[in-house]
Amino acid sequence: MEVEAKQDHKNRATAKGEARCPGAPSTQDIIAADKVGAPGWVRSEAYQFLGDADIPTDRYIDPEYARREIQTLWRHTWQFACREEHIPEVGDYYVYDLGPYSFIVTRVGADDIRAYYNACLHRGTKLRASGTAGNACEFKCSFHGWSWNVDGSHKGATCHWDFPHVDPARFTLPQARVERLGGFVFINMDPQAPTLAEYLGAEAKAHIDAWKLENRYTYLHVSKRLPCNWKLAIEAFMEAYHVIETHPQVAVSNGDANSQYDVYGEHVNRFISPLGVLSPHLYGKHTEEDILKQFTLGDSGALGGSQRTLKDGGTARQVMADMFRGMFEQATNTDLSGVSDSELLDCFSYTVFPNTFLFPGISLPMVYRFRPDPRDHRKCLYEVMFLRPVPLDGQRPQPAEPIHLRDEQSFSEAEGMDPGFGNILDQDTDNLVLQQEGIEASAKRTLTLGNYQEIRVRHFEQAVDKYVGEG
Amino acid sequence: MSEGPASPAFTRVLEAAHLPPGGKKVVQAGGACLLLCHANQRYYAIANTCSHNQKPLEDGRVMGSSIACPFHGARFDLATGKALNLPATRPVPVYAVRVVDGWIEVAV
Repeated sequence: MEVEAKQDHKNRATAKGEARCPGAPSTQDIIAADKVGAPGWVRSEAYQFLGDADIPTDRYIDPEYARREIQTLWRHTWQFACREEHIPEVGDYYVYDLGPYSFIVTRVGADDIRAYYNACLHRGTKLRASGTAGNACEFKCSFHGWSWNVDGSHKGATCHWDFPHVDPARFTLPQARVERLGGFVFINMDPQAPTLAEYLGAEAKAHIDAWKLENRYTYLHVSKRLPCNWKLAIEAFMEAYHVIETHPQVAVSNGDANSQYDVYGEHVNRFISPLGVLSPHLYGKHTEEDILKQFTLGDSGALGGSQRTLKDGGTARQVMADMFRGMFEQATNTDLSGVSDSELLDCFSYTVFPNTFLFPGISLPMVYRFRPDPRDHRKCLYEVMFLRPVPLDGQRPQPAEPIHLRDEQSFSEAEGMDPGFGNILDQDTDNLVLQQEGIEASAKRTLTLGNYQEIRVRHFEQAVDKYVGEG
Repeated sequence: MSEGPASPAFTRVLEAAHLPPGGKKVVQAGGACLLLCHANQRYYAIANTCSHNQKPLEDGRVMGSSIACPFHGARFDLATGKALNLPATRPVPVYAVRVVDGWIEVAV
């Protein structure tokens, strides 16, 4: 038995997917050395080797594949439709659109949110325009005036005498399923789909529960159309492997090649990318002072123009953690005393298949949403929302109105966007038009992925395969 | 607080203390029915009639610097009156607002 165990260990050491960045501490090693220790959801690992076959590229360029996705993938998956803060009062609604579909997500009661298919049951007119929000005491069609109550029941038809064949009891607005988690409203068009909890799996759901994102509010919301298939866009954010080439200015303070990657069930994956540490690609080329100067935050507004000074024998990572904790608490009137250094600093990036990216950290506190452009499978809709803790005085600010950038605009042009972070998003999205065009131009009809650093891309595409089929 | 150009046409309509942040109030001035809104750290005055179906805007939800008509969901920019989405396409009149001696004044 002992001989077998030794042999097994030797095999595992060289098995596919077991290799890690040589000569660098692991993400867990870095976090273990922090002054304020991290919770269990940070201190765990869940990588799985999922094969090393190439990914066929038809799925990114074939319009027929995109049509199948709408029917097989988007109609059967849980999607982030809006935040609860978007519809705080009874009658508040938010229109969520996906491909040809549109839903009026409405608060019917304190604990009752419904998602109505956004179409009049008379002759089909949308009851509310796409991309809008508001409050209603009824949903009345602008064409002939048929109306529905906020609870979806049929209220009236103009000249009802002409519609003896219309039974009001059978003219309730059809609904998608709705579930809420962490302040997010998710919808699913499939009545047979698993619950959101089953869909996420127990471990991933426990992570999301622990973040209490319901206690955050959206302080900045920016949207832009990107020139690529939606899957290329979302996959561009799934690894830190690209940092050294795409964002060299960030690599000085980002443990990119030694980031950690994990997968949970079929629909959730994550990375933890440690910040305030030097990239292994740059070992020997920079000092701790350099790391401190180069540190980029998604929410740097709270830090103002403060001086960053390294204490004797201290690390840039610890200086940033201590400084950010104090100044962010003060600037935003929040209590971060129970938050670990890692949660304050590091980039935690979770994908909830298919349209949601959650970053539960404090310095990089984003939510991304990706949707296909309903008119062009080579384009997609990308939104970035920044969440801040609700102030201690309990006054929840209204969520920010979305800023819609034109295709050619820089993310830095959005009012309130940190210029350094806007530059990072520009660098990411500038690659995407070249990738879309390159995939179409290539003699090679597949993508080749790294076993560890690109596991999230493989995991995501395996979920695509599950719903759409390989192609 | 003082907003909008000085003009002899300004009419005193409401004590500012009666319109807290997030508030709305219908007032009559110069023969017009206006909706005053206190949003985005400023005051707005917009005609209280949706350009789509001539219904009152007063029960509409204010989000940022726009108001959504409660009847069919048309939204209007409170600063410019511009229609932001269907079913409205035409603007709604808006009026300059200023505060003098604690009173909201509107140029009608």
